[in-house]
Amino acid sequence: MNPLATESVRPRETARREQAENIYLPRIAVLDRVVQEIQDVKTFYWHFDDPGEQRAFKRFLPGQFAEVSLFGVGEFPTSLPPSPTEEETFFTVRHVGSCTSALHQLRPGDKFAVRGPYGNGFPMEDYHGKNLVFVAGGIGLIPLRSAIVYALANRKQYERIQIFHGAKTPKELMYVPNLREWEQTPGVECHLTVDRSADSWSGNVGVVGSLFKKPGVQVPVENTVAFVCGPPIMFRFVIKDLLGMGFQERNIVSTLERYMKCGVGKCGHCCIGVAYVCVDGPVFTYEQIKKLGEDI
Amino acid sequence: MKARILDRADALKIVDLLRQQGYEVIAPFRGRGRDTFFETVTDQNRDQVQLHLPNPYYPPKRYVFPHIERLLTVKRDNGDIRIQPSYEEPKRAIFGIRSCDVAGIYHLDRFYLGRDFKDIYYENHRKNLFLVNFVCSDPANDIGDECFCVCADTGPAARDHFDLQLMDLGDEFMAVAGTRAGEALFTNPIFKKATEAHVAKRHAILDQVRKAFKTTTSWFSATVRYVSQGEILDKTWEEIGNRCLECGGCTYVCPACTCFTVSDRQVGPNEIERVRMWDSCGLGGFTRMAGGFNPRRAVHDRRNRRFFRKLAHYFIQRELSMACVGCGRCAAVCHGDIGMPSVVEMIRRATAEVEKRESVSH
Repeated sequence: MNPLATESVRPRETARREQAENIYLPRIAVLDRVVQEIQDVKTFYWHFDDPGEQRAFKRFLPGQFAEVSLFGVGEFPTSLPPSPTEEETFFTVRHVGSCTSALHQLRPGDKFAVRGPYGNGFPMEDYHGKNLVFVAGGIGLIPLRSAIVYALANRKQYERIQIFHGAKTPKELMYVPNLREWEQTPGVECHLTVDRSADSWSGNVGVVGSLFKKPGVQVPVENTVAFVCGPPIMFRFVIKDLLGMGFQERNIVSTLERYMKCGVGKCGHCCIGVAYVCVDGPVFTYEQIKKLGEDI
Repeated sequence: MKARILDRADALKIVDLLRQQGYEVIAPFRGRGRDTFFETVTDQNRDQVQLHLPNPYYPPKRYVFPHIERLLTVKRDNGDIRIQPSYEEPKRAIFGIRSCDVAGIYHLDRFYLGRDFKDIYYENHRKNLFLVNFVCSDPANDIGDECFCVCADTGPAARDHFDLQLMDLGDEFMAVAGTRAGEALFTNPIFKKATEAHVAKRHAILDQVRKAFKTTTSWFSATVRYVSQGEILDKTWEEIGNRCLECGGCTYVCPACTCFTVSDRQVGPNEIERVRMWDSCGLGGFTRMAGGFNPRRAVHDRRNRRFFRKLAHYFIQRELSMACVGCGRCAAVCHGDIGMPSVVEMIRRATAEVEKRESVSH
C-alpha cells in the first residue's frame, strides 16, 4: 500500500488511458491573447486546435498541471491557474528559463502544444463542509487561483473562505482584478500585504504571516484546510505560524514544484522520497512533504 | 516448464532459426582483450558468437530503451505545426542474455508498462522481443568478481520472463521453454527429449555454480529495512557521497535504471525532433529547475536518492520487482567503490553501530 495513501490527499486513481495513446504526444494549441500580470509574469490564454481535445482537457482539477511544448526549445510543466468552472484555459508563467522565455515571445495566433492535465490535484470534494484558508506568497497564487475560483463557484459546499496574499511590492500583487473581486465578494475574507510599501499603498505592510495577527482577522483552526503556496522562505515561516496556531500537519496542503520532464511518472526527475511528484502529487499535505524529506 | 536437449554444436542453430523467422538477433561477442559486447548477428560474424564470456558492461537494456530515441518529429509550415510521432517496432531476439539482465528487462516492463501510464515507445520495442536466456554455469568465464545475482535472487538460472533458456550441461545443452513462442521452436529436430538424468545434472551443476560465486555479496534484507524505515544517518550518506565522482557511470550501465531526459533538436530548416536520452540522478543538473533552483544540491543527496529509489520497500512493492538485479556492473565501473554491494555493506555496518539498536543494558 502506498504509505502516502492513508492521509487526506490520495494519489488520484487516474483512469487507465486508452492503450493506443501516446503519453508523450502533445496536442496543438493556439494562443488567443496575452495579459501582463506583473513584471516578467504574463498570462497566456489559449485553446486546443481540436475542440474535442479542449473538452477533454477541461475536465482537469484544481491543483493539476500541464506540460507546455515550445518546439525546438523544449517542454516544461506549469500549474493550471484557471478553475474548471471557468470558460477559458490559460497559463500564468514567469519568464525564467529558455522554455518560458520562448513562451513569452509568442504572439496571439501563434501555435504551440500542450499535454495534460496531470497530477492528483486538490481533493476539493473531500473538503466539503470545511473552512478554506488560502495563503499565497507572490506567484504562489498561480496554483491556488484555481482552487479559490473553484471554491467560490461551489460556495455552498464550504464554510468560511479566507484568502491571504502577500507580494514584495504593491506592483507585484498577482491577479489584481480577481483580488478586487474577492475583496468585494460577501462571505470571502481577502487580506493583502506587501513587504515594501509604495505611496499609493494604504494596506498592510509586512510578510504574509503578519496578516494572521492583524486586528479583525481570526483564522479558523478547527475543521479547516490551509492551502499554502509561495517561495521556500515564505513557506517555512507560514507553516511555523499555522502550526503555532494549532493547525494539524495533515490539514495543511501545498503543491510541490519539480522539473517534471514527462509528467507521467517515467522520467524520474521529480522523484523525491517515496513519491513521483508528477503522479503522486503535486498536491501533498505538509505531513507528507515532511516525510518526503526534501526542500520544497 | 518443458525442457529439451540439443547437441553443443547445435546451439548456434537457434540463432539461425530465429534469423530465418525474421528476427534481428543480438548476441554477445568478445572483442580484443577482456572487452565483450552485444552486437547484431550477421552472416559474417555468426561463427564468432560466444556464450561463455564475461557479461558485457553495456547492458542489453538499450534494445528496449535506446540510449537516444526519437519521440516526435515536428514540422513547421507557414505557422502551422505538424507533430508526427516516430514508432519503431523492431522484431528482435537477444541470444545469450544473462539471467540478471532478463530480470532487468522484467523490471523495465513493470516500470514502463505498469501503473497508470503505459509507455508506447517501450512497448513497441518490447512486444516482439524474444529472449534466449543463457545460464551462467562456467564460474571461470561467466561469473565476474562483482556478480551477486545470488543475493538479488535473479540467477544464476532465471526462473521466468525468458522465452527460451539455454544451459550448458557439458556435452550437451539443455533448452527450457518459458513461453509458447519458445516452446514452438521445439518442433525443430535439433531438440531432443530430456531425461531425468539431464534434469538431475542441471540441478547438480547449479548447486556447484551457486557455491562458485566470488567474494561480492549484497545483504539486501537488512538494508531494505533500514532504508525503508529511514534509519540511516546523514553521516553515512555523506560518507557514500564523498566517494562519488559524479560520473553517472553506475546509472548508464544499470540494466534496471529508468530515468531519461527529453530534448529538442533542429534537424532541418523547419523541422525539429524531440528525443529522449538516458539521464543520471548522479549528475548535478538532474533536478535543476529553470531559474537555477536545485532542491538536491549535495552529492550525498543524490546518492541517497539513487539507493533509496532502488532499496526502499515502497518502490519494490510498487513495481513488484526490485530495481537491482545483482549484475554487479555498478560495482565494476565505480571508481569510488560505491556500487550497490559496497553501499549495502556501508549502510549495514554504519547502522549496526547506532546505539539505539542495542537493547541490552546492565
